[in-house]
Amino acid sequence: MMGIQQAYQCLFLGAVLILALLIIISMIRSVLGPRVADRIIAVNMIGTMTIMIIAILSVYFEENYLVDICLIYAMISFLGVVVLCKVYTGVYLRDKNMEANMEAVEDNLSQQKQEVHDYYENE
Amino acid sequence: MSRRKDNYETSRWRQFMQWLAGEIDPLTAAKVGMIQEKAETLPDEKMERGKVSTLQATPGNESDEREAHSAAAQAEKAAGQAKSAMAAEPWLNQPSGESRGLRLYRRFYQVMSILLCMGIISVLLWTIAYLPIFGNAGNPDNNEVSARYIEKGLDETGAVNMVTGMILDYRAFDTFGESCVLFIASCCVLVLLRIDNDGGSESWKKRQTEANDRIFEPKNDIILQKCACVLVPVILVFGIYIILNGHLSPGGGFSGGAVLGSGLILYLNAFGFQKAERIFNGKIYQRITVSALTFYCLAKSYSFFTGANHLNSGIPLGTPGNILSSGLILPLNICVGLVVACTMYAFYTLFRKGGM
Amino acid sequence: MAWQWYRFGAASLCLVTGIVFMILAVFGVNRFHKALNRMHAAAMGDTLGILFVFLGLILVRGISFDSLKLFLVILFFWMASPVSGHMVSRLEAMTDEELGELLVIRRSRRIKAKEGEDSPEDRGESQAER
Repeated sequence: MMGIQQAYQCLFLGAVLILALLIIISMIRSVLGPRVADRIIAVNMIGTMTIMIIAILSVYFEENYLVDICLIYAMISFLGVVVLCKVYTGVYLRDKNMEANMEAVEDNLSQQKQEVHDYYENE
Repeated sequence: MSRRKDNYETSRWRQFMQWLAGEIDPLTAAKVGMIQEKAETLPDEKMERGKVSTLQATPGNESDEREAHSAAAQAEKAAGQAKSAMAAEPWLNQPSGESRGLRLYRRFYQVMSILLCMGIISVLLWTIAYLPIFGNAGNPDNNEVSARYIEKGLDETGAVNMVTGMILDYRAFDTFGESCVLFIASCCVLVLLRIDNDGGSESWKKRQTEANDRIFEPKNDIILQKCACVLVPVILVFGIYIILNGHLSPGGGFSGGAVLGSGLILYLNAFGFQKAERIFNGKIYQRITVSALTFYCLAKSYSFFTGANHLNSGIPLGTPGNILSSGLILPLNICVGLVVACTMYAFYTLFRKGGM
Repeated sequence: MAWQWYRFGAASLCLVTGIVFMILAVFGVNRFHKALNRMHAAAMGDTLGILFVFLGLILVRGISFDSLKLFLVILFFWMASPVSGHMVSRLEAMTDEELGELLVIRRSRRIKAKEGEDSPEDRGESQAER
């Protein structure tokens, strides 16, 4: 008869191993992903699974400070997604502007149309 | 006592306050004189450069020496022209024919810098070869130092978290150096990436960068704003918790400061530069960073002075485990956290906008 | 002794459910063809997977301060993950020209001056990575 400790150990180790395998698979997607959004999604999923692994390890080792690291990791990964999205949208629109395709900018940012006009007047 | 001073505008205190706020440059008054001085000292510099080139030329080779002399003479001539031209930096636009000495000097400079770097690297490597083998059980850091930290750390520092006790008490000057490195790094980025305000008025430049931000990046995102309203206070409170709990649980200044900085960056991303400047701008950055570093330096110097001389420092250690315990570690943690948060935010704004 | 095994059973059930959700999410991310579909799969892992895994861990820990922190992680994820999904989808809708979003907006705005010459190029132009 297996003791309760060994049962928990097997459960946690199996979960961590499966999650590590999943991280490798989604890393493949983050390398392959044809567009920036695919990569961002894959990296975000890697972050999620890393947070799961850290939480499982915190219960497994009974080290409660690892949960703080989970929270920090979640914050940083959320912030990373937000910043990357903003920066890549900006880069894309700037490139389009250089190709003189300004309708795209105006259409996409229709709520900021007033500022667009201001910008052009100033130029 | 309440007499109003008429000469406040020209008083030293006023100048000091202006300098503190970054409004005036104390060197601007002397700048014009300095330019004149530069132009006058120019021939001497040229002569020195010519001398350097003669020094570099091998003795006995007369033609090289003669060339160097002629180069020096030409440099003197050019310096005279530059003096008459009275430009700010006349050596930038001199004719190309006379600059042989200068070129020789530059080549000599490059060779010498490479030699200096190689020398330093070889000395360091030579030193490393004499270090004890890594991981050897007989190394001094494996028996004495760590045993001392483990046995007496709680009594001497009062911090339950041993790592914080080490990095902020035994090795506090190391941490001070790290904070200074962060400050210097942000200063260098500021020097390299700052948008120059010389052409055009400052408000116009600011408006242009704001418009740039608004046009090319989706800022008015209502979903992100509503989410940031909820998340930013939580993140800031969590960062403050990590900083204040640094001597009780893992964490401390660096990680807590990073969390604070990420909260500020999230606010900036959601609401744009204009609103973020209300709570954080360059002046506040200067004041917070400089005062935190100064306080760290003074407090830790006092602590080291009294500790090295076996004086009674008067800093209570408190009960280990309480939030107000372990002497200077809590304020030092707060200082480090402030510096790290400011540095993260400053890096982000500098790379995105080129200013704070 | 028996209730400990019941707790283990409940916790392992939750953990295994969460990990199955993660497997499904990774499978979907690798199998779908467009970024928006992939996002649909990934969001499931971000919400349900996190919920079940952390619920299992809370069941293991019992009621304590750590369980509160684990619960905070769940709360944070449920707040932050839809927003990050929104940001990613916005990026995708803005930059992917094969989606046709830009054309639809352009037609509705009645900007037809350059559409005859521009839009076929825009459509055929593959937006590779930058």
